[in-house]
Amino acid sequence: MPSSRGSSQPRDQTHVSDISRLGRWVLSTSATWEAIYIDIDGLVLYIYIFIYMYIFVCSYTYFPLAPIRLSCLARWRAQHAWETLQALLPHTKEELKLELGEKVEGSVLMLLQEAADLFLGGQRRECLQTCEVLLDYSWEKLNTGPWQDVDKDWRRVYAFGCLLKAVCLCEPPGDATSVAAALKACDMGLLMGAAILGDILLKVAAVLQKHLLSGKRPAPGPSQEPPGTKKARNDHVPIPDVTTERTVPRLHCPSLQYFKKHFLVPGRPVILEGVANHWPCMKKWSLEYIQEVAGCRTVPVEVGSRYTDEEWSQTLMTVNEFISKYIREEPKDIGYLAQHQLFDQIPELKQDISIPDYCCLGDGEEEEITINAWFGPQGTVSPLHQDPQQNFLAQVMGRKYIRLYSPQESEALYPHDTHLLHNTSQVDVENPDLEKFPRFAEAPFLSCVLSPGEVLFIPVKHWHYVRALDLSFSVSFWWS
Amino acid sequence: MDEERRGTWFGFGFCGFGQALGSGLGRQVHSPEPLRTPGGSLDVCRVSASWSYTAFVTRGGRVQLSGAAGGTADGCTDAWASEELLVLLRAGPGAGAELQAWAPGSAMRGDPLWSQAVQEAEHGPSRDETQAGLLPLLPCARAYVSPRPPFYRPLAPTLRARRLELGAEHALLLDAAGQVFSWGAGRHGQLGHGTLEAEPEPRLLEALQGLRMAEVAAGGWHSVCLSETGDIYIWGWNESGQLALPTKSLAEDGKTTAEASGLEEDGSEVKRGSAGEDGAPAPFIAVQPFPALLDLSPGSEAVKVSCGSRHTAVLTSEWGKYGQLGHKDTTTLDRPCRVEYFVDKQLQVRTVSCGPWNTYVYAVEKEKS
Repeated sequence: MPSSRGSSQPRDQTHVSDISRLGRWVLSTSATWEAIYIDIDGLVLYIYIFIYMYIFVCSYTYFPLAPIRLSCLARWRAQHAWETLQALLPHTKEELKLELGEKVEGSVLMLLQEAADLFLGGQRRECLQTCEVLLDYSWEKLNTGPWQDVDKDWRRVYAFGCLLKAVCLCEPPGDATSVAAALKACDMGLLMGAAILGDILLKVAAVLQKHLLSGKRPAPGPSQEPPGTKKARNDHVPIPDVTTERTVPRLHCPSLQYFKKHFLVPGRPVILEGVANHWPCMKKWSLEYIQEVAGCRTVPVEVGSRYTDEEWSQTLMTVNEFISKYIREEPKDIGYLAQHQLFDQIPELKQDISIPDYCCLGDGEEEEITINAWFGPQGTVSPLHQDPQQNFLAQVMGRKYIRLYSPQESEALYPHDTHLLHNTSQVDVENPDLEKFPRFAEAPFLSCVLSPGEVLFIPVKHWHYVRALDLSFSVSFWWS
Repeated sequence: MDEERRGTWFGFGFCGFGQALGSGLGRQVHSPEPLRTPGGSLDVCRVSASWSYTAFVTRGGRVQLSGAAGGTADGCTDAWASEELLVLLRAGPGAGAELQAWAPGSAMRGDPLWSQAVQEAEHGPSRDETQAGLLPLLPCARAYVSPRPPFYRPLAPTLRARRLELGAEHALLLDAAGQVFSWGAGRHGQLGHGTLEAEPEPRLLEALQGLRMAEVAAGGWHSVCLSETGDIYIWGWNESGQLALPTKSLAEDGKTTAEASGLEEDGSEVKRGSAGEDGAPAPFIAVQPFPALLDLSPGSEAVKVSCGSRHTAVLTSEWGKYGQLGHKDTTTLDRPCRVEYFVDKQLQVRTVSCGPWNTYVYAVEKEKS
């Protein structure tokens, strides 16, 4: 390895061998420098060009000259992101208008108009203030009454406030914190708001996300850490002995008619093999990939061992925070990214999955199928409950232990009598209190361990209990 | 009690629609300011504030609106403001009174949306000052007004209602015997029955049975009542600390209840009440479904309480984003805090009335002793 000893030698006797390897490469590829013409002027010029090319090369790999790379190129990227955003957004009052019904009071319409005017007039700070008022008021409306009864117009108002807030926040000079805040505002609009202006929040979020990630290179190919072998906090995973239990039947790619006749119509669970195992997610998804595609996005997380517990709560955090707090480090609580329509929020992930063909046997439209993500560490539990639609549960990462009871056994499962939890059983399936719930012991059930690539059909109203045996990612499809 | 000494109304909080709130400048008023209502010094006896406008009722029977809705009307004994409706109680033709519901934007011109003749109260003169302030409860105490249809809602006569307050999705009733009833949606514990279930009909608050209550107030998703002995009971949603209980949202910002003062300097690692290391639960209260006794500074007795959408005024807590706590800033608080303005100015507060995002206070000068 040639060593550069340039400083200890007289300059006019610097040898080619003393130039670093990189330098030699630079020289060899630099067409204008054919002659290794070493003299004082040439040396100075060589050094100048060398440094220039060094920076150029460093900006595309991880070299310790990162600070230089960030300040120049990041500013360029911020400007570029801002221009892309500007091109996305409406420029006129007529385009920046929402069609709203009677439910939205005149006072709010005034504020919407004011916010739009301030935005188009470039008054960022005042626009942000008006947006806060709009967001707070519509938030109160969103929290009044059951969610399904909330008028969609209030959700549109909320989304509108989030949109203007996000764009105002990331106006240049935008640093990483303000862009992250802007992305969070977009996510709040996507989570609680309704689609406006042609799904503009999705587009804005995509631009912001790209800008935030622009410093890191995507890790191509398979991950360093194969899913499912993440080291557990404790190695005592009580894997139920399914050999002593009646198992869910398995079929390899049954025909539509066979599935309909033997399982859909009679309401019998079955595991479908060969249906999902070629989906791109099966090979692509890993902790690293998820962090890269969705890391900075805000998602709802359930904290607590199960949703029937008193200490159970829901909170919002970014996917990165969720992974670092509840998956990587020694988590104190169980956190579960559960029942979240992640694929509506991040369309890029939707391309890694498909809708099972068997859904066409239902009456509903494809757009009405609800796709939920279920992502969490080993040990997450969904208490025994039933859902009002048919369900295909596709396992992508890790394994899940699942128990299924027929709706005919409902009485032996002792559902809660409150309206809020009437679809949930009071019994802890793997640790039942048989004194309190005696009939539970006799109720027949099917069980299985669902592994990556497999799809479980859970018929409508079929009671199911799920526990993750490993770090797990499942995708559920609710259809009718 | 010196009746001749007239006091002044003060206001603070959100005034983004220009509703009369002190100077009325800007969007928010952070510190109490004397009201300068349009039309000179009015003899205001009741203030009813909605989100985007405020209604002032004077002793002379005039109703004045300020904010996104404007206009005046005479011959009124009471008014109640909400975003959907402005309800007026007017001396009607003949002996009885007339209940009118107006669209706020109509400035009370033209015809009301609907109107109904109502009976006068069974006891007391019809123009008694104490009549003002009963709305949304009607004087006959047989029914109340709702901003959503059906507008006229009867009450069982056995309830003998004395006061009625409406929250965003629930209702509170105080009867002649000092018992409290609640009904409506309960998903945030605002009904006080210990569950999150809704109640279709007025249901007695068993937890307070036997205690005589003097006042009730309903906020957006929380409820407060005052006993005759001056104790405060509070329940419902605590997401902004409106119950004066520690709330998680503030803890995450590092600003919740100080066990020790000087919390802000600490800055780092505010793991509030955590004990979390050894598994003890963090004492954040998100929802309080049973009435809880509120501990103000010892020796103080509460006489009046009013609730905004997410704040409570007795002397207290919570959501301060628009300055409605009157502490000169926009910090949200989850512990009771005295509004120093009135102490500094030697004013004695007589009554308080909260709008959703602001607060109105009536105060007189203290007697020089």
